[in-house]
Amino acid sequence: MNWIAANADREQTMGRLPGIGVQFQRLYASFYRLPQLPPEIVEMCRLRLAQLHRSEADFALEEYPLASDRREQLQHWHRAASFSAGERACLELAEVYAMDCGAVTDAQADAVKEHFGEAGLVALLQALGVFDGFIRLGLIWRAAPVGGRQHD
Amino acid sequence: MTSAARVSPPAGNTGNVIRDSALGIVPETLDHYLALNAAIWDAGPLGAAEVELARLRNARHTGCVLCQAVRYDVAIADGLTEDKVQVIRGDDPAAGLSERERLIVAFVDQYNLDPGGIPGHLQQALLAAFREDELLHLSLLVAWFNGSSRCAVALGGMPEAMPRLEISVPR
Repeated sequence: MNWIAANADREQTMGRLPGIGVQFQRLYASFYRLPQLPPEIVEMCRLRLAQLHRSEADFALEEYPLASDRREQLQHWHRAASFSAGERACLELAEVYAMDCGAVTDAQADAVKEHFGEAGLVALLQALGVFDGFIRLGLIWRAAPVGGRQHD
Repeated sequence: MTSAARVSPPAGNTGNVIRDSALGIVPETLDHYLALNAAIWDAGPLGAAEVELARLRNARHTGCVLCQAVRYDVAIADGLTEDKVQVIRGDDPAAGLSERERLIVAFVDQYNLDPGGIPGHLQQALLAAFREDELLHLSLLVAWFNGSSRCAVALGGMPEAMPRLEISVPR
């Protein structure tokens, strides 16, 4: 149960400090409208972070539609042939970032740049930071996220 | 840690440290970044010294050398001393800090190390010492600085050490 704002979900809790919370939500939403990164990949990386944080509530969100089989394969994307080289590069970077941002290697960064350019790498790292923040806020507040909509 | 930056900053010099950084090559997020960063300093109830205390403690966790070297002038004007900064950056932050400051450090540490495991006694202590809007401000500023600091580290080019650098909030 949310210990700061009783009965409020994560987004409602952020909205109780609108001068900052609304700005945060606008930045979050902007990552799904980038020309540098396909929104499918942005969503895959958000979902992978949710898995690594063991946040079932964040994994249940659907900010951008993905095919069900892609969601199901996400935890084992290394072994799934359906993920493209560009998707793999972003997912690998997301996993390392989640564990230790200082452990990202030049090769991992170059792999993302090869597919999405320098701006794509910057955008991905920005998105990972904000997604990670939203997930951590939900966990530390004990406030369930509501996001776009629940995945069926 | 890498010694070479992985991304080139935009050409030109606007004088704004965010616009002139690698973040400047993603115009679609830049204005949102600047607006949120300014709101963190301007639109919450915590004073600049407490914001800076949390930011610097967070930077210790992320290992961002640049973030640890920076001091925001508004925080210094609000009373944050370099002696206190050194306490915050140390292993024993209980020494020399007020109860509110110790709780800010404890919250930042919990956010970084185990956000889902926040114990009941820390929740109660935070609720006793801060208003709801102050706890929301603390939470959101830690989330913001944590993400932006980790982004800076992952973009590479971080020096081994930097001298103290006093700056204004970029707008």
